[in-house]
Amino acid sequence: MDKKIHILPLNRIEGDLKIHLEIGDGVVSDVRSSGIMYRGFENIMTGRGPLDGLVITPRICGLCSTAHLKAAAKALDMICNVTVSDNAKRIRNITLIMEKLQSDIRHAFFLFMPEFTSPCYKGSPLFEEAVRRYEPLKGETVIQAIRETKKLLEIIAILGGQWPHSSFMVPGGTASVPSANHITQCRHLLRDFRKWYENRVLGCRIDRWLEVRSKSDMEVWFDECKAHQESDLGFYIRFAKEASLEKTGKGHGNFISFGSLDMPGSTDTLNMRNRIFPKSSASSKMFLPSGFYTSGRNGVPGRIRRFQQEKITEDMRYSWFNEDECAKHPFDGMTVPYASGSEGKKYSWVKAPRYNGLPAETGPLAEMIIAQHPLFTDILNSDGPNVFVRELARLVKAAVMIPVSELWLSETACSREDFFRNYGKIEEGEGYGLIEAARGALGHWVKIKRAKIEKYQIITPTTWNASPRDTDGIRGPWEEAIIGTEIRDIDNPVEVGHIIRSYDPCLVCAVHTICV
Amino acid sequence: MSVNLYWLQCGGCNGDTWSLFNAESPDIAEFFDLLDIELLWHPAISDKSLEEQEKLNECLLSGDQRLDILCVEGSVIRGPGGTGIYDEAYGKPKKDLVAALAKRAKYIIAAGTCASFGGVGAYGETEATGLQFLKWEKGGFLGKDFKSESGYPVINLPGCPCHCDVITGTLSLLVSEMPLELGEYNTPLEWYGMMVHQGCTRDEYHEYRVEEKRFGEKGCMFFHLGCHGPLVKGPCNKILWNRRSSKTRVGVPCFGCTRPDFPQHYPFFETRNIEGIPIELPDGVGRAYYLAYKGMAAAAAPARLKKRKTGI
Repeated sequence: MDKKIHILPLNRIEGDLKIHLEIGDGVVSDVRSSGIMYRGFENIMTGRGPLDGLVITPRICGLCSTAHLKAAAKALDMICNVTVSDNAKRIRNITLIMEKLQSDIRHAFFLFMPEFTSPCYKGSPLFEEAVRRYEPLKGETVIQAIRETKKLLEIIAILGGQWPHSSFMVPGGTASVPSANHITQCRHLLRDFRKWYENRVLGCRIDRWLEVRSKSDMEVWFDECKAHQESDLGFYIRFAKEASLEKTGKGHGNFISFGSLDMPGSTDTLNMRNRIFPKSSASSKMFLPSGFYTSGRNGVPGRIRRFQQEKITEDMRYSWFNEDECAKHPFDGMTVPYASGSEGKKYSWVKAPRYNGLPAETGPLAEMIIAQHPLFTDILNSDGPNVFVRELARLVKAAVMIPVSELWLSETACSREDFFRNYGKIEEGEGYGLIEAARGALGHWVKIKRAKIEKYQIITPTTWNASPRDTDGIRGPWEEAIIGTEIRDIDNPVEVGHIIRSYDPCLVCAVHTICV
Repeated sequence: MSVNLYWLQCGGCNGDTWSLFNAESPDIAEFFDLLDIELLWHPAISDKSLEEQEKLNECLLSGDQRLDILCVEGSVIRGPGGTGIYDEAYGKPKKDLVAALAKRAKYIIAAGTCASFGGVGAYGETEATGLQFLKWEKGGFLGKDFKSESGYPVINLPGCPCHCDVITGTLSLLVSEMPLELGEYNTPLEWYGMMVHQGCTRDEYHEYRVEEKRFGEKGCMFFHLGCHGPLVKGPCNKILWNRRSSKTRVGVPCFGCTRPDFPQHYPFFETRNIEGIPIELPDGVGRAYYLAYKGMAAAAAPARLKKRKTGI
């Protein structure tokens, strides 16, 4: 028997999201994902001072303001044609990593795992343990994560003044000049966090986890000792198996990454990178490479292609904006909100970004696939993308990022180099800043004319993941991932919640993408 | 008797929520228990099915469930053309829910500059406004004469974001029915009775007019880099951020994010001036006196400051 239902709104995500589902015979037959708030953000940028993006764009998102700051600063670096010093690169990288780690941990334990305490799991032998760990504001892991993630944000405050919403990155480097003592304080804070992450989240030392390079390695790791099974990662593996999370949320199978973390000219992290990512094609300029992965089809394996930002376009056929005649690159698109609202085929305030005409998933899993991390490549090749591996990538990202940050901190403490290089006056130019935020690929495209912002366009990670259909009728990534999902209880389709949350949605970011 | 709280996220970045998670002694997990606050609803924390949410809203609006504290984060979006459909909740404009809950609440808190004064969105096409102010002007969404059941107007806690201590401090005072003295723009004097400049570690550079002209220098950022510290009220340098620092302490100018006109219409990172003297002078200072004073101060500056040898 066919039945239509709506879920609205999905809570415990960043922002407002409505999912319209059609379910027939217990299987999702159609889906539309709607961002239901419009903030009209970039339009207020036009005519403003050339540096205003550094102050205003962090205010797009209370959870990833440092990421927007970095993208804005990089766009201005390009416009000013200034080379950033190694010290400034490291400080920018470290603060961005700290923000990403707090976001990953908070997402996992405040937003994703609490769904395991849903009434539909009451019959599960793991239900009580899930409640003990993840009950909102009360679960053991939740309480610890509240305390521990604050230490990461203290590091940002020491290096950048405050979190959220500072503006310490400027074209040419950073305005802040941390002393060796400041750096030492940061190292102590990070060591505290590392201890907790190893004890509670992994159940082992980071070095041990980094030995896990395949699915079978992961099974060996899991069986090795009780500490592994009883850590939050161990619990996640146990719960995911029972809830069959590896069987849902496949999607299109395309991935995009803008590449992560600008490498300082002289750094030992290069060796570390080459050890953890032996097949990575990254240059010595970036810690993790940019790239576009096209899904394998009909026995042909998937392929990583070189990333070119010119191939990005935004389509608005199904978004509440007046349409251009065709999808355009962010430097060229014109966007006007389509005020007549909710009738007709348009259904979202999120636009539909495409790469070379294709939809693509972005986020920690995409980063790992494009950097050819052995474990994630192995899982992808044997199971395809799914909810389990998507969240796994987020949960263990810290195992790579903590050691890298430690190394960069000690390199900064030993260096006498400047943090800022003068860039002169900004009169004209265009530039872009492409980075990897907690949720994936984030881009700012900026044009300056007569010392004023002429155009400011932003594509956030969730815009990629939450995009509606495009002109060809091709669904957005998480829409596609929901299609065909078996729903056990039509009144509580928790499976759909898992799928969407595995992308770590941030709608406050996604719903303001209007260019001027 | 326990006091209840309903948190609504409107047109904003949810930064006030994440700022609240910075709270320390008590942290956010302890805070509600310790003060015996029943959290009826918070969109980033609560776990309620759609049915339960709708039931709760129904009971609040009918009066079957009393509402002690309504906390709103983000601006009220009224566009386009007053319809409010740029921001939707439960299939209706969210602004209608704000209006209905406001009628029932004993106290209303505007957390952050967007909810207080409209913030970033008030310059855009979303027709966004603060709850009881639109920028400098009284009125906003609820009207200039609005008072909640307690007799208080909307209690404004501006800041982008609002500091966690200001939110938890205000809630603590309200819950224990201690008096909360409000200043201009209906902000509590406890946190908005002082300038951001107070407590800045660069204050000596300001006194003697030793100026910072480029990023990374030691000096005062008021004269060239657009610092709003002496112009704008707020506790950033008194209570510090994340227990550690503030923007001005690390060499980032204050952007005046607690002021009704934030984000200002003139460029950030530069000081508007006439012949080298800032157009906007420290709050309440006369121009003639200021010129004489700063001239003498610069002449009197000790060598350790002029050589920028002091720590910051």
